[in-house]
Amino acid sequence: MKRSWFAGPYALWMILFTIAPLLFVVYYAFTNTQGAFSMASFLKAFDGQYLTILWRSLYLAFLCTVLCFIVGYPAAYFLASKDFSRSQTLLVLILLPMWMNFLLRTYAMMSILEDNGLLNQFLKNLGLNPISILGTQGAVLLGMVYNYVPFMILPIHTSLKKMDVRVIEAAQDLGASPVNVFRRVVFPLSIPGVISGVTMVFMPAVTTFAISRLLGSGMFLLYGDLIEKQFLELNNWNFGSSLSMIMMVLIIISIGLLNKADPKKEGSGVL
Amino acid sequence: MVEDMRLIELKHVSKVFGGETHALNDVSLYIRKREFITLLGPSGCGKTTLLRIIGGFEYPTSGEVLFEGKDLLAIPAYKRRVNTVFQKYALFNHLNIYDNIAFGLKLRKMPADEIDRRVKRMLALVKMTGYEKRSVDAISGGQQQRIAIARALVNEPEVLLLDEPLGALDLKLRKEMQLELKSMQQELGITFIYVTHDQEEALTMSDTVAVMNAGRIQQIGDPKRIYDEPKNAFVADFIGESNILDGVMPRDEVVVFADTRFECVDKGFAPDERVDVVVRPEDIEITTPEMGMLRGTVHSVVFKGVHYEMMVDTGAFRFKVHSTAMHAVGSEVGLRVVPFNIHIMKKVTDE
Repeated sequence: MKRSWFAGPYALWMILFTIAPLLFVVYYAFTNTQGAFSMASFLKAFDGQYLTILWRSLYLAFLCTVLCFIVGYPAAYFLASKDFSRSQTLLVLILLPMWMNFLLRTYAMMSILEDNGLLNQFLKNLGLNPISILGTQGAVLLGMVYNYVPFMILPIHTSLKKMDVRVIEAAQDLGASPVNVFRRVVFPLSIPGVISGVTMVFMPAVTTFAISRLLGSGMFLLYGDLIEKQFLELNNWNFGSSLSMIMMVLIIISIGLLNKADPKKEGSGVL
Repeated sequence: MVEDMRLIELKHVSKVFGGETHALNDVSLYIRKREFITLLGPSGCGKTTLLRIIGGFEYPTSGEVLFEGKDLLAIPAYKRRVNTVFQKYALFNHLNIYDNIAFGLKLRKMPADEIDRRVKRMLALVKMTGYEKRSVDAISGGQQQRIAIARALVNEPEVLLLDEPLGALDLKLRKEMQLELKSMQQELGITFIYVTHDQEEALTMSDTVAVMNAGRIQQIGDPKRIYDEPKNAFVADFIGESNILDGVMPRDEVVVFADTRFECVDKGFAPDERVDVVVRPEDIEITTPEMGMLRGTVHSVVFKGVHYEMMVDTGAFRFKVHSTAMHAVGSEVGLRVVPFNIHIMKKVTDE
């Protein structure tokens, strides 16, 4: 009895800020502007133009996750290795941008990528032709990877860091060359961290908004932008809620699949 | 049986960590084929460092290590014909028991049926048949221990290195495993280099014991010799229980300690040389006060199972005495030691 009393504030918090808003979303999703039950906004979400945006979101989120893994795993590996483990400086440098608002970071990215931005001035100084990448899908992807890569590095770094050195020695002892030590022991043991990183990158990536609008010059609308637009610009809460519910279901399915790949639940514990 | 061939030879090996402390200080040692050698010493004596150098996980600051006469240090750990049983087993918890044991064989690209045959035989040897598919997290410490041994032995190494492999087991299991390890070693004819801080374990299993302290080998020899004739006070104190006293040798075969003159069998010391005197508690005989060479009162009695351990105060020294007969606290007793059981050692001057 006493213990449940302590849980009270948390329960209240959950009801006010998680359960109630969710119920609102469900309510709006299944009603029309008059408040009567309606599947109209749901059916609208399956129109071709909106499905295109959904596919683009999933596709970019997938690419972003793969790129974050390709960039993040080696980074985490070297940060966890003996040469760097003593100094926290590098890790802090990777985390530092996360302490700033992502909009600020994205605006900074914009001014770097601009036609007369830092990147092109640098290229000019090298005597190379300037490139125009702002407003392309590549720029959106770059912005997403830049924003989310720390979420890939951190969990992998943690899982590599807590790995018992003796296990690596045992593999060497049994005849594993450095390549085989990595392939047969280090990588398999870091999979929980990878799964956790994939979850932590894919989820925000698939719901990305603003980044795509700013770096894609509005040409590559993502699902997050679409939802934002319904609520803030078009004032169509019913359609916005339907889109949100579809996104939520997709996220729940993908987390379920990821958890299946990590049966021991050694990873994040997200959900 | 132990062969005369020197399999591993260490020459003047030193290891310095972080500039100052010598983990190993000019250690020279050879290990013969099929020998069961134990490196025995307190924690921090350098025994594990020595083992890790042979395994390839540490490199000496100076000195040579030879394997069958060839430089071992030039060979990386994964190419050495040596396998290790690690202190905390270091099993791969992403693999089941079968794959743990098969790990080394798979790396050697052995055919699957041959791997299967060898793994099954190893499981039988460590009495774990039927556990192939289990997770290594789902078995007890003693069973993990057996899997760690099987995982190393299945590769049929020339030398098996064991780093306090029984340290985490309870007493009864430890005793069982000691005997099993010894019989496995004899059966397979593999050289064992065993590290422990447990002197009883060392004496039970080994052909040769090397007692180490402060990065040096204090004494090396067969267990009986080390127990009966410790070379210095450290070895005497570390191996078994001892009374260690300061003494003076006025001349050959006479020693003075605890304010009393004793006959002994040692000679070759300088006149009036100060020495360490070691008397084992079981070598002291309790008699009546009149018959004793020393006279004292019983200060405390502890029952140890087979014998009683009594502390007897003679005024000059408090002797530890083991006897099957109990003498009550406060009673007057006499103590006798035969000359043969008084061990005289040179004082250790360095360190």
